[in-house]
Amino acid sequence: MPAPEPELVLDRLIHEPGRLAILTVLASVRDADFLFLLRATGLTKGNLSSHLAKLEDAGLVTIEKRFIRKKPNTNVALTAAGRERIARHWEQLDHLRRWSEAVQPEAVSR
Amino acid sequence: MKRQAIRAAGPRYAYLRGVLSIPAGFLFLLAALGNWQVGPLRHDLIFFACVVAIALAYGLVVRYYQDHYGRMSPSPGQQLRGAAAVGLGLVIVVGGSLLLRSQAGWSLDLPVNAIAVTFAVVMLASYAIWGVLHAHHLVVWGSLFLAGALPLWAGADPSNVGLVMCGVAVIVCGVFDHIAFVRTFGPRDLPAAGEGNARA
Repeated sequence: MPAPEPELVLDRLIHEPGRLAILTVLASVRDADFLFLLRATGLTKGNLSSHLAKLEDAGLVTIEKRFIRKKPNTNVALTAAGRERIARHWEQLDHLRRWSEAVQPEAVSR
Repeated sequence: MKRQAIRAAGPRYAYLRGVLSIPAGFLFLLAALGNWQVGPLRHDLIFFACVVAIALAYGLVVRYYQDHYGRMSPSPGQQLRGAAAVGLGLVIVVGGSLLLRSQAGWSLDLPVNAIAVTFAVVMLASYAIWGVLHAHHLVVWGSLFLAGALPLWAGADPSNVGLVMCGVAVIVCGVFDHIAFVRTFGPRDLPAAGEGNARA
């Protein structure tokens, strides 16, 4: 079996739907807090928390814990590497979609 | 949420917090009533007290959204689009009003409500620049544009009526913006707010 083209090999860490949603939301803002991410992604608190921990371990996001009006607040931002990798991932997905659209008519005509 | 909705989460949060439009709309109405010197609004102190009350209401609404939907800082691109919309808005409102109906020698002096027309154009352009244009914007601001552009405004300066029309349109648009916002981010009490902001 031939090796897949490198540009079609997806980053498994990012491709998980929950993490993809988190990184995509973060790519559209400068930074956001936990509640905003919860609302924007529709994940549960536990899921969001565990995905954020994995993304932080991978160096894709930074997490800052702070207090706002005496209430704890968790603020999240993409790192430069995270921004670069999520942009590349969406390019790969678009590339795959174009590739599958180009391949499908050939398969049908056979 | 779909890909486009997730990508637009930032702009939607920034520009579709429709309840913020309600105090903003009341500011237009207050300006018109102040110009007409209606009742106690003829006194400067009462007028400014109303402005302060509206500013306080605006602050409370900002806090409502932060407490129930969280916080985010706009991206540099989004900030640039925001600044572009403000700059374009100033040019259209000032230039358009002078061109459509003013004392300037080069004015077309048309029987239109220049404030309503230019403000409708500015709001439509702004929502398009911000990337959050919805069907209700076309209806609300299109209606304001048509009402202002009808050749019914000959005679006395219709600026104050224009302010009232803008204020009502801002409030109506805000109600629909909030509905679109809730459709994107969910109802107010989905997660337990307050404790929902300190995980990870």
